[in-house]
Amino acid sequence: MKTVFINGSPKKKLSASGYFLDVQCFFTRGNKVKENLRNKSDHERILNTIADADTVVFCLPLYVDGVPSHVLSFMKEMELFCTERKLQLNVYVISNSGFIEGNQSRVLFQVFENFCKRSGVHWCGGIGVGGGVMLNVLRIVFLIQIGILLLNFVLSGVHNGNWLPIDALINFATQALMIIFFNLGVFWYTFRMGMAIKKGNSCGKKYTRIMIPSFVFILFADIFFIIISLFQGGIFRGWLSKK
Amino acid sequence: MKVIIHDLGIEYDKMLQDKCDAMISADGKYAPCQGCFGCWTKHPAECFMKDSLKEVCRVIGRADELVIISENCYGAYSPAVKNVLDRSIATSTPMSTYRGKQMHHTLRYGKHEMFKVITYGDITPEEKATFELMAERNAINDGYEKSEVIILKSLNELEDVIV
Repeated sequence: MKTVFINGSPKKKLSASGYFLDVQCFFTRGNKVKENLRNKSDHERILNTIADADTVVFCLPLYVDGVPSHVLSFMKEMELFCTERKLQLNVYVISNSGFIEGNQSRVLFQVFENFCKRSGVHWCGGIGVGGGVMLNVLRIVFLIQIGILLLNFVLSGVHNGNWLPIDALINFATQALMIIFFNLGVFWYTFRMGMAIKKGNSCGKKYTRIMIPSFVFILFADIFFIIISLFQGGIFRGWLSKK
Repeated sequence: MKVIIHDLGIEYDKMLQDKCDAMISADGKYAPCQGCFGCWTKHPAECFMKDSLKEVCRVIGRADELVIISENCYGAYSPAVKNVLDRSIATSTPMSTYRGKQMHHTLRYGKHEMFKVITYGDITPEEKATFELMAERNAINDGYEKSEVIILKSLNELEDVIV
């Protein structure tokens, strides 16, 4: 069974869509192929890849309540490709947005459902991930924490002869558990989607959110953008003003 | 201020220009959004890509009435029109708020009045429902008080609905 994972993020590296695609790939069995869809030059290559596939999983960011324009362009070509060849594909979608509510992706799901009807392929549901940017940042933080933990081992070993400092381990485990907690919804539904892909079933439309109150999330999101804007200089260039 | 975005081609430009204060022709001769957030965090309300959409949010942001004329594409805007909207996220700021019982970004240019979508081309009942939901969602997201979707059976009806 061949499953093609299409990353619809325009970013070249460290995209949230790439992260969720990797998680879904982990929970999926069989022959797996990953493709990046960034512009028109990718269309032909991806269409050739899906020609003999059983399943396609789109993983993409939510742009202005809907599908990013470069993905819409690809869908129009894919519709022609699928109808001409009468492909019997199962299509799944993972959409992520920076907003805390995953159900802000419901228009995007309807668009994909309409696309599947026109293309003669099977709409098998999707996951709307809320707080996608935050989860992606936490993924990067987790990798940094692994580096810090290893550095702690070395420093503690060299200075004190203790190569397994318990306090550093406890600190790492606490933070790792917190990150896992925030990702629970994503892990559960991607696991379920993996099972559905294996059986060729629909997984329905599922939505996740970060399990903290919205006002706390908004506070963190604002702090995140203030820090980024400070580093990138936008805060000194009429950050919130009418231009 | 009334702003029209359309994907009808240059033959409609003259007629539409006479009916608005600013017109954006979605001709597809521009790059898609790269999702860098630079128009929020680095050079506010300006895209790093130097094409016709570089400062498009400054026009759309000032609209009291925004009219989007687009071919139907699975119940959504055509790729050329969606590209314009994707590149105009700096009509809002990176700061967040609660609007319509959900999280959204605060508005750089304040509230607007009317968000009108006129769509043409082959459309199914499901796609019509999607268009209506999308226009409603877009209106909340961009701070418009009202939204309306008009489905044209033929482009000959356009002049009558674009008063």
